[in-house]
Amino acid sequence: MQRSDEELYRLMRKGNQDAFAQLYARRAPGLRRYALHTSGSPTVAEEVSQEVFLQLMGPTCRYDEAKGSLESFLYGIARNLIRVVRRQGPVEEAVDRAFEHDILGDLISDETNAALRRTLRELPERYRDVVVLCDLEERSYEDVARLIGRPVGTVRSRLHRARALLAAKLKRLNAPAEVFSR
Amino acid sequence: MTCTKRVGELVECARRRTEPGRDLRAHLAGCTPCAERWEAERELTDQFRTMRLRAAALMALDTERDGLMRDFARLDLAGQRRRRAVRSWVLALGAAAALLVSVFVGHIAGTRMRQTPPRAIRTNGRRNPPTVFYEAGGFETNGFEKSGFEPSGFEPSGFEPSSDASALSSDDFIAVPYTPPLAQGELVRVVHADLYPEALASLGFDIDPASASNVPADVVVGEDGIPRAVRITEIAQN
Repeated sequence: MQRSDEELYRLMRKGNQDAFAQLYARRAPGLRRYALHTSGSPTVAEEVSQEVFLQLMGPTCRYDEAKGSLESFLYGIARNLIRVVRRQGPVEEAVDRAFEHDILGDLISDETNAALRRTLRELPERYRDVVVLCDLEERSYEDVARLIGRPVGTVRSRLHRARALLAAKLKRLNAPAEVFSR
Repeated sequence: MTCTKRVGELVECARRRTEPGRDLRAHLAGCTPCAERWEAERELTDQFRTMRLRAAALMALDTERDGLMRDFARLDLAGQRRRRAVRSWVLALGAAAALLVSVFVGHIAGTRMRQTPPRAIRTNGRRNPPTVFYEAGGFETNGFEKSGFEPSGFEPSGFEPSSDASALSSDDFIAVPYTPPLAQGELVRVVHADLYPEALASLGFDIDPASASNVPADVVVGEDGIPRAVRITEIAQN
């Protein structure tokens, strides 16, 4: 039977490295993607993910099971770290640049997608988080509600609002192309 | 149903890549803004899929794992827990030892204080002893004048604090008449003084007034400096 995050955390705090490895394997990829989508930089994403786990194993980690799930706690740390990074200035290292010499990147890279990523990063945090978690990470409304500590209805309405903003942006981006095609 | 209410269904269909129901299809056919929104939402879902693929490819290579595992092994969390537990035990034992030492020191100090002759005691409002006439000299005169008698014959030269520990436990004190009563909790001092024999004789002591030498005595003095009671020490009585 699979151990819960909280059980793994307890074992990890007792020095069990296997538990830490399991926890890392389970949560690190999602955290890295979340950090990538919200920051726009693969380097920042890796640093954030690493820092989250360093904090988790550090002596100052104050995770309390009574206050919420470990996953929610981890995303909270990541969110705070990304806030700090964003406060320091715009992150210029775009995902496209990381794919400069990548065949897959060349194939799927296009202006629309780049513009959409920029728009997503410019959204207010409350909207950006739900888009990243619901649509890019494909988490359920209930999961996301638990992760961000908001009711399911709030998550749904935020997502619809965020998508409306992004759809409007897409519409503006596509408009010149349509004119040109005529 | 209005367009606003259709939007929710439309968004969910676009997210799940499912075809809209018959009602929604009919609405989209007749409503241009909703049809445009539907197209935009579908494209948004496609773009998100692209972003997902890209992110998955970009983040597939995990370069941090080994480093983190090494860091974890170096941390020795189990050792930290043990050390924390030992430290807390040491602190608790230290605190208990400090408490015991302070209790012991307090006990010793209390014992010594009980053995030291009291220089000042609280009267706790004890009533004055029976009234006997007394003349004294060498003290402040104000209180005596107020109390209505003339101080005289009290030799100030031998005035010093008494060292007799049993001074106040004795019942040999004779009250000085016409003095104001001691207040509740007032501090009194027992002082040792050489008194004129005439003055003591007038207080009722069995002493020859013609005796040349002064008589040593303990005098109870209030905070106001007024003597309240007198007792002849054993040396003098002998």
